[in-house]
Amino acid sequence: MAKRLMPKKQLEGVGLTLTGACVLFVALVVVTLIFMVAQQGLSAFFVDGINFFSFLTGTSWVPSDGVYGALPLIVTSFGVMLLATLFTLPIALGSAIFVVEVQPGFGRRIFQPLVELLMGIPSVVYGLIGLTVVNAAMRAIFGDAAGTGAGILSGGIVLAVMILPTVTTLSIDGLAAVPREYREGSYALGCTRWQTVWHVVLKSAMPSLMTAVILGMTRAFGEALAVQMVIGGVEKVMPAGLLSPAATLTTALTSGFSNATTGSVQYHALWALGLLLMAMSLLFILIIHLIGAKGAKNRG
Amino acid sequence: MSDSLSRRSFLSLAGGTAVALAGLGLVGCGGSSSSDASASDSSAKTLSGTVNCSGATSFQPLVEAAAKKFEDENPDVTIAITGGGSGQGLSDVRDGKAQIGRSDVFAEEKLDASDAQALTDNTVCVVGMGPIVNSNVDVDDLTTEQLKGIFTGQITDWSEVGGTAGKIQVIERKAGSGTRATFEAAVLGGDKAPDSFAPVAEEDSSGTVVEKIQQTEGAISYLAFSYFDDTKFKALKVDGVEATADNVCNGTFKIWAYEHMYTKDADEVTQAFIDYMMSDEVQGSMVEEQGFIPASDMKVKKDASGAITNA
Amino acid sequence: MASETSAKRAGNDLGVDLDEHVKKIGRQDRVATGILTVIVAFVLLLLASLVGFILFKGLGKALSPGFLTTSPLADENPGISSEIFDSFYMLVITLLISVPISLGGAIFLVEYAPDNWVTKAASTAIETLSSLPSIVVGMFGSLFFVVTLGWGISILAGAMALTMFNIPILVRVIQQALQDVPRSQRDAALAMGLTRWETTRHVLLPAAMPAIVTGIVISAGRVFGEAAALIFTSGSAAVNINFASANLSSPRNPWNIFRPAETLAVHIWKLKMEPTPGNDEIVWGTAAVLIICVLLFNILARVLGKALAKKMTSE
Repeated sequence: MAKRLMPKKQLEGVGLTLTGACVLFVALVVVTLIFMVAQQGLSAFFVDGINFFSFLTGTSWVPSDGVYGALPLIVTSFGVMLLATLFTLPIALGSAIFVVEVQPGFGRRIFQPLVELLMGIPSVVYGLIGLTVVNAAMRAIFGDAAGTGAGILSGGIVLAVMILPTVTTLSIDGLAAVPREYREGSYALGCTRWQTVWHVVLKSAMPSLMTAVILGMTRAFGEALAVQMVIGGVEKVMPAGLLSPAATLTTALTSGFSNATTGSVQYHALWALGLLLMAMSLLFILIIHLIGAKGAKNRG
Repeated sequence: MSDSLSRRSFLSLAGGTAVALAGLGLVGCGGSSSSDASASDSSAKTLSGTVNCSGATSFQPLVEAAAKKFEDENPDVTIAITGGGSGQGLSDVRDGKAQIGRSDVFAEEKLDASDAQALTDNTVCVVGMGPIVNSNVDVDDLTTEQLKGIFTGQITDWSEVGGTAGKIQVIERKAGSGTRATFEAAVLGGDKAPDSFAPVAEEDSSGTVVEKIQQTEGAISYLAFSYFDDTKFKALKVDGVEATADNVCNGTFKIWAYEHMYTKDADEVTQAFIDYMMSDEVQGSMVEEQGFIPASDMKVKKDASGAITNA
Repeated sequence: MASETSAKRAGNDLGVDLDEHVKKIGRQDRVATGILTVIVAFVLLLLASLVGFILFKGLGKALSPGFLTTSPLADENPGISSEIFDSFYMLVITLLISVPISLGGAIFLVEYAPDNWVTKAASTAIETLSSLPSIVVGMFGSLFFVVTLGWGISILAGAMALTMFNIPILVRVIQQALQDVPRSQRDAALAMGLTRWETTRHVLLPAAMPAIVTGIVISAGRVFGEAAALIFTSGSAAVNINFASANLSSPRNPWNIFRPAETLAVHIWKLKMEPTPGNDEIVWGTAAVLIICVLLFNILARVLGKALAKKMTSE
């Protein structure tokens, strides 16, 4: 075989080059993306002369009138993200504890595959259900106060369901990674299962649980279409409460992008929103790294 | 890809007279020099090439239906339709990325004056828009003044306009949408809703308006006639005039807009498709089937500044 | 229980009513277990009602004759045939691009990666990619792939946008699969004088294959339902596909990767945004089809993974 004749060293070089090229390609795409989003977004400030400070603190977003205050969008984005996390966390953590500590067999064979299935449901389908079911439920519960039923609360609920599988699966992995001896030690001391979980397992799995939550938050923060269908889309005023209709950074992008002509101020302002979104997701990654580093340090 | 396409199409023409110009972005390579390109004409058989058509989604179904028929009659022609919204359509045709840009507003409103001037406006049809309410609202008729009061937040209860007491839930479209611009131009007459007035929703699309108006007690919004559906919500009369195509045509119903297909230095295939859109085949039946009004039926006309004159 | 009696004895020395304490923590334990069971039941109920609701609303339409095989542009009873074709075609193109790149990337990171800043930067880049909102990727695609590279609104531009999502998922799965291969196998191969490259190709990859295939199919399910990134890259208009077309460069030729396309997920979004008469049924029908496809992907992933693993151990 001809291949056998190739010197080992050369063969090793081929492997290194091939695989290295793949990594390089990915890195290049990422750098291009960051560069382009930054270039387009920053030109809103440096070319079109939008004041960066008033962009961040302005309380009204009406691009068609040249009013660019992104604060309502930023506040809403964080609002729905935190709400979704709040709803999801107890459920995700609870079911993770159940399948790892109480019924491991059932968890591995039945529960986890089903939850992964939930992860596969497309976001437009979640939006569709949110539009039909969640919004109607909001109106049924809160009456006129809920307006059309669309609002931050509806957005939070839909996102909570969407990030549930992500947070659950990662929590399961985190809990399962806690060494067996920790639990056995705790049981040997006469602790009940609940005491063991509460004082031993959760504590030592804390870094990975936090990572799970933050990854869930990242997903909630960046979701566009599902939220767009249920949140009501009011961009021009600050949201007054959980029931008020509002718009997130992502929904302002989806709806605004089609009305803007390329190269216009409005177009660049939308890219600036994209830049904000990107900066946030980079921040989330940074936080995960910090948690990971701290966890590693704690373990020695 | 466009290069190879133009070469192929060119070769397939036995001694074609027109030549594809590379500068035109995509292919514009028609075989017939005859300007009469009405699709059913036998001379149109030699048409070939691709027309990219992007932009407003509001009358996309109409264009899709017409394009399909046009393609069936001209097997070598492809009309590639993409969505993206009016802004996208106008910038695409300005930049030469598409031969046709669909828009539901005048180009002057979105582009620089010089860019807008370079485009040819083809108003393929007219769309009427009217106020709609949730089916349980017991008001059938509103004056323009009352509508203005409602959409600026001065009238907040149905009892103020002759209905059973109940909160008026105002559902708007997003600022920047063509439907909203048309409605506000006709109803608010240049005034603006105060900043303090917040509607209960600002929807991105007609689809979500349809959904919300059905679900929400006491809701009011506005939609193009093409979305009207008696089983889902109720259309109101304005100043006693019913929201119908006839009333738009004779000028008594004031809330309407053109659907534009902008072109820039149209090549032969593009022009043939535009001609087809304006032909009886489309204007005669298809336009009305889709809920629009043929531009030729209009007895009044509007210019970019919104002034209405007799046609 | 032994632990209880020992606890009681220790407690007596401290003068605490241990019986009471044991009862209390026992009760706590039972309550906690009860709550956990309720939570799990709730999650399962949620899943069942989600899937059940979609199927209830859409299955009738999805199974109606011709729905899967009629063009969305048909005058009567429009179906979703082009969307189904476009979805699968786009998926195949995406996998053709993303699988080799991810495979290479993962092998590099597991086998070759020198422990320096280059490697760290590369894995950070991949991580960044995984956290980017899909709408940002879509905007980037609409500028870079569509305009800068001049591909236009096309299947290729859409597939590249999807590739950007898929790569981080795949790299992680493949990395994990390679790392899970027992150390002894790798050591044995290296000890026999094989190079790293040969070891990877002939020992590690085959051993990790079941996990890799499972991962690819599951990621395919994820890609299949993505919409936000596609609206601005591959378009949101149904294409009048002509299967008889022999001209590969015609935008109506199904195989032309430079033509616009509309996937099932985008179709749902578009119809919901711009309704035409009778399309509520189509929306739910499409949603049902989409869910069934995702279900099938999940089942396929498991079956394939198991079958491959079985084949390997029997050899």
